[in-house]
Amino acid sequence: MIRIENLSVAFDGTEVVKNVSLELKEGEILGVVGESGSGKSVTALTLMGLVSETARLTSGRILFEDVVLREAGKPLDKELYRKYRGDYMSMVFQEPMTSLNPTQRVGRQVEEVLKLHTGLQKEEIKARVLETFEAVGLRNAEKVYGSYPHELSGGMRQRVMIAMAIILHPDLVVADEPTTALDVTIQNQIVELLRDINTKEQNAMLFITHDLNLARRICNRVVVMKDGCVVEQGDTEEIFQHPKQEYTRRLIEAVPSRMKKRVSVMERPAAGGGAESNGMSGTGSEQNSGSANRTVLEVRDLSVFYRDGGNSLFSAKKKHCVVEGADFEIYRGESLGLVGESGCGKTSLSKAILGMNKDITGEVVHHTTRPQMIFQDPYSSLNPTKTIGWLLQEPMRAACALDKSLSMTKADMEAAAYDMLHRVGMEDKYFDRKPSQLSGGQRQRVSIGQALIMHPGFLVADEPVSALDVTIQAQIMELMQKLQQEMKLSYLFISHDINVVYHMCDRIMVMKDGKIIETGETEEIFRNPKMDYTKLLLCNS
Amino acid sequence: MKYFGKKLFTLIMTLFLVSVAAFLAFQIIPGDVVTSILGTEATPEREEQLREELGLNKPPVVRYFSWVGDVLKGDLGVSYRYSKNMNEMMPVKELVGDKLPVTLWLAAVSLVFIIVVSIPLGVLWARSASRATDKLGHFLDAALGVITQTTMAIPSFFLGILVTYLFGILFKFFTPGGYISYKEDFWGFLGYLLFPALSIALPKIAMTARFLRNSMLTELKSDYVRTAYSKGCTRRRVLYGHVLRNAMMPVVTFLGMIVAEIVAGSIVIEQVFGLPGIGRLLISSISTRDFPVVEILILYITFVVIFVYFLVDILYRIIDPRISEK
Repeated sequence: MIRIENLSVAFDGTEVVKNVSLELKEGEILGVVGESGSGKSVTALTLMGLVSETARLTSGRILFEDVVLREAGKPLDKELYRKYRGDYMSMVFQEPMTSLNPTQRVGRQVEEVLKLHTGLQKEEIKARVLETFEAVGLRNAEKVYGSYPHELSGGMRQRVMIAMAIILHPDLVVADEPTTALDVTIQNQIVELLRDINTKEQNAMLFITHDLNLARRICNRVVVMKDGCVVEQGDTEEIFQHPKQEYTRRLIEAVPSRMKKRVSVMERPAAGGGAESNGMSGTGSEQNSGSANRTVLEVRDLSVFYRDGGNSLFSAKKKHCVVEGADFEIYRGESLGLVGESGCGKTSLSKAILGMNKDITGEVVHHTTRPQMIFQDPYSSLNPTKTIGWLLQEPMRAACALDKSLSMTKADMEAAAYDMLHRVGMEDKYFDRKPSQLSGGQRQRVSIGQALIMHPGFLVADEPVSALDVTIQAQIMELMQKLQQEMKLSYLFISHDINVVYHMCDRIMVMKDGKIIETGETEEIFRNPKMDYTKLLLCNS
Repeated sequence: MKYFGKKLFTLIMTLFLVSVAAFLAFQIIPGDVVTSILGTEATPEREEQLREELGLNKPPVVRYFSWVGDVLKGDLGVSYRYSKNMNEMMPVKELVGDKLPVTLWLAAVSLVFIIVVSIPLGVLWARSASRATDKLGHFLDAALGVITQTTMAIPSFFLGILVTYLFGILFKFFTPGGYISYKEDFWGFLGYLLFPALSIALPKIAMTARFLRNSMLTELKSDYVRTAYSKGCTRRRVLYGHVLRNAMMPVVTFLGMIVAEIVAGSIVIEQVFGLPGIGRLLISSISTRDFPVVEILILYITFVVIFVYFLVDILYRIIDPRISEK
């Protein structure tokens, strides 16, 4: 029904999509998977005619049934596209918050599609919108109709986006990472909804995602893209079970999955399953010296608060409890995973542990010096105006300024920085580069290096791999495990991705609404979850 | 309701602090009202007598609070400097009364100019700047850039002189130095304000238009714009139906900020065009240390500025539904 033939798209002379051919049939969900920069989004936006005006079609054409929507060498036919968009083809975007106009009620935003493409009366339009809201599972449709986007939750906003996309029953729905910005439980609902719509309406769906597990669950066929080219395409199960191309195989292998063997580097007490303590044979004496020495962090009955109503002069600030009665400890060489959905208090807890949040009750006892943190976004957490070498030395400079007895010469610092650069697997030449000249994975290596340069015993890693592509994700996880072994580190590993946590962590804590509801050995939690919420988290991913 | 209470509290506190600051300034700066009235040749006895008459021999704190008490009762006091006739002092109320409306109207007309011209101009500018492939758009963008830059660089009093020369002397649209009181002919009065207001407004129009252009270009990159296009919206619909309102938010804040500048600017421009506003009165009262007049003028200006800020705040809440939530 929809055919993309030999499509190539170039920005400023560089081709980002090369010779891509796709075909979509009615009632089919075609997945386009690939890492960032693989050209999957540009392909979709070109299909929709939404790609920026600076992009040029260098070859190929796009056919919708028998109509040529776009052809290389011809300018974009705006009128034609305008008739098709919204009516015959529509799109669901990744970010439901920013994809809706913040100053317009969502009802009006959905209505606009009908106003543009139909001659319906006002009352009919409203009835149609309410009907569609109900069809996408928005309860209390009337209320949603009159709400502004910020008054709705992420999942509801995405449902509104979907309502907007399907209200005119288009033949093609393009979904560009529709669940990436959502929590796992919501993710699942949205995926189910999209699949139901596809079955009911028998439309064609182009499903773009970086998440291979997701693609496997929902798509009939899959196209794998890399560097603007189609690497492989075929039936989903065929691709996942018998990938023909080396790249596809690597991509599938990089995905953390519960099917694969876990590697743990934790130093176990002699009594516990010591079989896994590979590479830690020289630490026997410490193992025997009792559990007190092995604890790097104790958290006792910790509650974290935040206060509302910042600038009110008269009314007392309202106190909200974001973490309630957290009680746990982390042992030497251990990775403790902290999982939960956004807003459950994971980050507040980690900040309190690092002393960045003072409004707490309870006790946090560190048995190591200088706990450090690794952040999620390697793009914004490094100062863009400094060189990598400078960034790596900064913690040492800060420490020297605080503690005069710690005299380090410039040469010492430089040597330490070079040493750390090697440890995180980077070459000398990066020393004088700026963060903008590095890839996401390299930047995350630098932030890990920054955290480790003062030799902390304990690290808090807040979603350290969430912003990275799967193959890079696998490399960073490997690096973190290697460093853990070499430097005898303990991690508090925060993640929303339960599969990543399964791979990295020895024990897992599950958090919900500020409370730690379940703690246990990783295998135990996965095999035998006690709480319903944990079960829900596990089966949704 | 709580919101209005808070705003009222801020208003009162600001007026209080401003009046104290003005009062203190008069204590600190050198110069004496008595010397300025009687001249340097007066006898000490005469000076002492005048001091007594004006109540200047009381301690400053007492003087300040008695003044505040009078003002709260509605008695704005009398001018130290001007007198109605030989026997009667000039009440500040009368002195300021017919001058203040001139200044306020001048500021208001300028503000209307700014809003009416800069918003369409900014939209037009953003439209031409956002067309990546359009030659005319590129040209317009560059041309408007140069024009606004130049306008912004000219100080408004000099602009006033240029406007007087161009429209007053060359084209004879108005009589330079002429003036009709608003009491006689309100529309004629407004007519005389047009060109002074234009001089105040031009640089601000350039600034606001540039600000709106940049704000719209930023908004045009947002995700919701892509969503609007994906629905099948035309470019026009995207610009006016979606982008403009969002782009207005920072512009409204900006407009609020320049209101204070407009009031200050109108004081200068009145001198250039010879309008009987508070400008000349304020300057002469400061130089003759005519404290009651200066205090009242400053409080008036402060009140107007804060009131406009309050209007801006309300406008902002209307434009952005997210604000009232917090």
